[in-house]
Amino acid sequence: MVRFSFLKVWLCACLGSVPVAAMAQQDTTQHQLRTVEVFGKPAEVYAAGSRVVQLDSAFLSTYSSGSLAEALQARTPLYFKTYGASGSSTVAFRGTNASQTAVLWNGLHIASPTLGQADFSVLPLSGIGEVAVQHGAAAATYGSGAIGGAVLLNSPKYNSEGLGGDVKLEAGSFGRYFGSGSLGYGSKNFSYSFSAYEHLAENNFKYKDLSRFGTPEVRQEHAQVQQHGLTQDLNWHISPSTALSLHGWYTFSDRELQPAMGSVNTNARQLDESLRLMAGLQHQSQLGQTDVKLAYFNDLLHYTDNSTDSEADVDTYQLQAEQTYTHGDRWSLRGGVNLQHFVARNDGYASEQEESRASLFALFRYDPVQPLQLTLNLRQALVDNYNPPLTPALGFNWKFLNSNQHQVSLKGNASGSYRVPTLNDRFWAGAGNPDLKPEQGWNYELGLRYVLVQGSTFLLETEATGYYMLIDDWIQWAPNHTGLWRPTNLQKVESKGFELSTTATAALGEVRLSSTAGYTYTSSVQAKVYEGSGSDKGKQLMYVPRHKAILAAEAKYKNWSLLGNLNYTGLRYTSNSETSHLDSFILLNLALSRKLQLGPNTLLLTLRSDNLTNAAYQTMAYRAMPPRGYTFSLRFIIP
Amino acid sequence: MKKLNFFRSFFLAATLAITSIGFTSCDDKDNVEPELPIEVRGAFDQKGVFILNEGNFRNTNASVSFMSDSAGHSVANHIFSKANAERPLGDVLLDLDLVEDRAYLTVNNSNKMEVVNAYTFKTEAVLENLKQPRYFTALNADKGYVTEWVVYGEPGQVSVIDLKTMKVTKSIPVGIQPEELILAGGKLYVANSGENTLTIINPATDAVEGTITVSDSPTDLVLDRNQNLWVLSAGKVVYNADWTAIDYTLTTAGALSKVTPATQKVQTFTFDSNRTMPANLVINGSGDKLYFIYDGKTFVQDINASGLSSTVFINSGFHGLGVDPETGHIYAGDHNNWTGDGTVHVYSPDGKPVSNFKVGIGPRGFVFN
Repeated sequence: MVRFSFLKVWLCACLGSVPVAAMAQQDTTQHQLRTVEVFGKPAEVYAAGSRVVQLDSAFLSTYSSGSLAEALQARTPLYFKTYGASGSSTVAFRGTNASQTAVLWNGLHIASPTLGQADFSVLPLSGIGEVAVQHGAAAATYGSGAIGGAVLLNSPKYNSEGLGGDVKLEAGSFGRYFGSGSLGYGSKNFSYSFSAYEHLAENNFKYKDLSRFGTPEVRQEHAQVQQHGLTQDLNWHISPSTALSLHGWYTFSDRELQPAMGSVNTNARQLDESLRLMAGLQHQSQLGQTDVKLAYFNDLLHYTDNSTDSEADVDTYQLQAEQTYTHGDRWSLRGGVNLQHFVARNDGYASEQEESRASLFALFRYDPVQPLQLTLNLRQALVDNYNPPLTPALGFNWKFLNSNQHQVSLKGNASGSYRVPTLNDRFWAGAGNPDLKPEQGWNYELGLRYVLVQGSTFLLETEATGYYMLIDDWIQWAPNHTGLWRPTNLQKVESKGFELSTTATAALGEVRLSSTAGYTYTSSVQAKVYEGSGSDKGKQLMYVPRHKAILAAEAKYKNWSLLGNLNYTGLRYTSNSETSHLDSFILLNLALSRKLQLGPNTLLLTLRSDNLTNAAYQTMAYRAMPPRGYTFSLRFIIP
Repeated sequence: MKKLNFFRSFFLAATLAITSIGFTSCDDKDNVEPELPIEVRGAFDQKGVFILNEGNFRNTNASVSFMSDSAGHSVANHIFSKANAERPLGDVLLDLDLVEDRAYLTVNNSNKMEVVNAYTFKTEAVLENLKQPRYFTALNADKGYVTEWVVYGEPGQVSVIDLKTMKVTKSIPVGIQPEELILAGGKLYVANSGENTLTIINPATDAVEGTITVSDSPTDLVLDRNQNLWVLSAGKVVYNADWTAIDYTLTTAGALSKVTPATQKVQTFTFDSNRTMPANLVINGSGDKLYFIYDGKTFVQDINASGLSSTVFINSGFHGLGVDPETGHIYAGDHNNWTGDGTVHVYSPDGKPVSNFKVGIGPRGFVFN
């Protein structure tokens, strides 16, 4: 409860500080999409040879009422395991699992330290400025957990002058309502933005219950979701060389967890509440750029059902300090330290538990000649009892062909990665395994990037990447010989595959077209099994589709815009034995928008349909997913 | 329906009559392998073993496998789904009982009982809305009993089912978390695993006739050749005040008890440690050898032994055990970390590995046909 009052005080203080100012003639939508870094180099600068994909801003704005899970499922080749319309949703990069994905908000880890993974269904798009996805190991840059990849979230930056804002209201099928509002103010040295949202969904759609005799059509019960949250972002250039930023993000989610078809409804319910506060200071001096981030996160997860009542409440304190030094045009060095301290109260732990983790990192970049970029990253993490070895990453980009029209680059990297055991792995009463080792991964990839430019009317960017990955000491909970479930270094997994993507942008008279196509092939198998019979060696891991493809297209004509997403997900096995599977499915989403100019203000009307072809599909076995639905949304933008 | 039943009964009677005529000329040796019935009523109308694959809790992936006794010992997995247009069986299969030409499948976390034709595995009826059903036993072809937990930690019940209509006719309150139930000496014994008692029910009146006190947390019941009842008690796990760790000063060790139904006399053998629980009590076909799992090992025990067996029969533990009543072969289910299909290992009566085969997820029980 202390948390709430603190939140309110903080809120009022920030709100009170917004001065009323003249309106400026700007569309806030445009401004939520730019990079957040005021100056300095984002971490990707030190990630030569790796694949970083930014989520399209038009898509983010149209689907801003959705969760990060829905957006990434639709627009990236990542596979999300979604436990029905209301359940949790976790990601799998390159055939790894959810814990092997780092999720960072403004550069700091936000995945739950107890579970070691992020539930993307409770991370809203509303209030998020940018979403980028880094494929492959990036633990040398981002730390523990970035084995399969990383999802990078950044706060929006309000960078227009004066006051602006927007209101969005949405109503859709299956009892779904959404409302959001934002307010921003910007001046030469100062900007502030605030956003809030509320989301209600009954999820009372009809589906065919495949588990019941006669497979009757029934209405989904117990899948109601209520979510709300708010963000505040403040950036202040105290002096030309010093900038201060404050970010606050609060999310609340109360969900009835949808049971699987054929499983009894035990009234499972989950409440997730997270408060994330961060202060950042950037200072430019002769010694380069100093960047210090200080954060406090509180994550509460309360699960109940007919026979369970379990609560986990974790305070996380983080400090990240970095110094970036750039020598001429060719050399750049960033060194830093990251400190994390967790205080966890969990019904499953013997008492309140604390853990501190530290890591030191050094990121180098050297461009020996203009078309060649080399990076070397090193990270040493220090964790009580679980010290992982020094983690390196070596990468290059080589633009070997660069003409007016054509650019071709070869890129590649070899990176180590690690993941330290979660707080649950460590402290769960009776189950903690003192012999547990951190997970360790190696990722090798090679890619080719081709860019074709034809004046200002046509742009084509194509990328092909092949990778090979080994993840050893993969931690999984399994029963020991007496039947006790505890975490163990179960297996070594070998994952390999390739990723293709192409983006084309063209202007044909008044019509502007852009489209993205992507395909991934993933083979992820147990190479070694350290416990049990190991009889599934060499078989595809469960819930890793070998094939996934997406096609997204946007057409704009005058004030009209049509956005379409087609998503193909191949067959997925539902256990590691390749003996049972979920069929492949195709999802089509369409959104048609009309922009109306009302004086200086804009009204945006959008009609969209999700799952237009009414496909019956599941991403987790027997969890019913919504059929075709429609949503109508109104968005009013004050300049 | 009535017509069909009459026709089928008539047909069955005729078939049996013809078969019995056929057999009269045979020698009356013990263990004569019966020939396949003249009319094969389905794929499972043959000798073999049904394997109950529990499946992952909260996932609809329980299944049944069948290994035929015929040449080649062919194994069929997912026989329920295959017979029922790919419909999944449900969430956590605990029990399968063959009663005449039907099989009753108790699916715990689906709160239901599927009634299938024992020869084809096609569903004939479903009893839904049970309350955490655990185990089933039939008195005869007309009446059956199922244990139900109702609410975890509170007194459970035994529901009486009219097997002709598949309706619950009565629910009898019993102890906490009733697990296995067995008919012995004309009475129904129910193991109340949430306490330390067996409830005795008179199947003539369906009323509780009394209780017997045994060791804490009785789960498994078998009957030996002398009509004595063997009870495996897992032992009670006691947590400390804030439920964060097991308090081993109060946790009790498991026990194996022999109950003589006529006198209600209980003889108890207590295991040496309260840190590990015994499980999976089964008995061989001649009713004189008990098998169980303790501390990650499989033990065999003679029914006349004066103490607990220290004979390690197989040096590993299993999720499920079964004994072929004819050959004495031991069937043991390995859950393979619950991430993929389990394996059934078959051992000879002297503990030597015979064969193994893959089944569904979490093999936990064996029913010999």
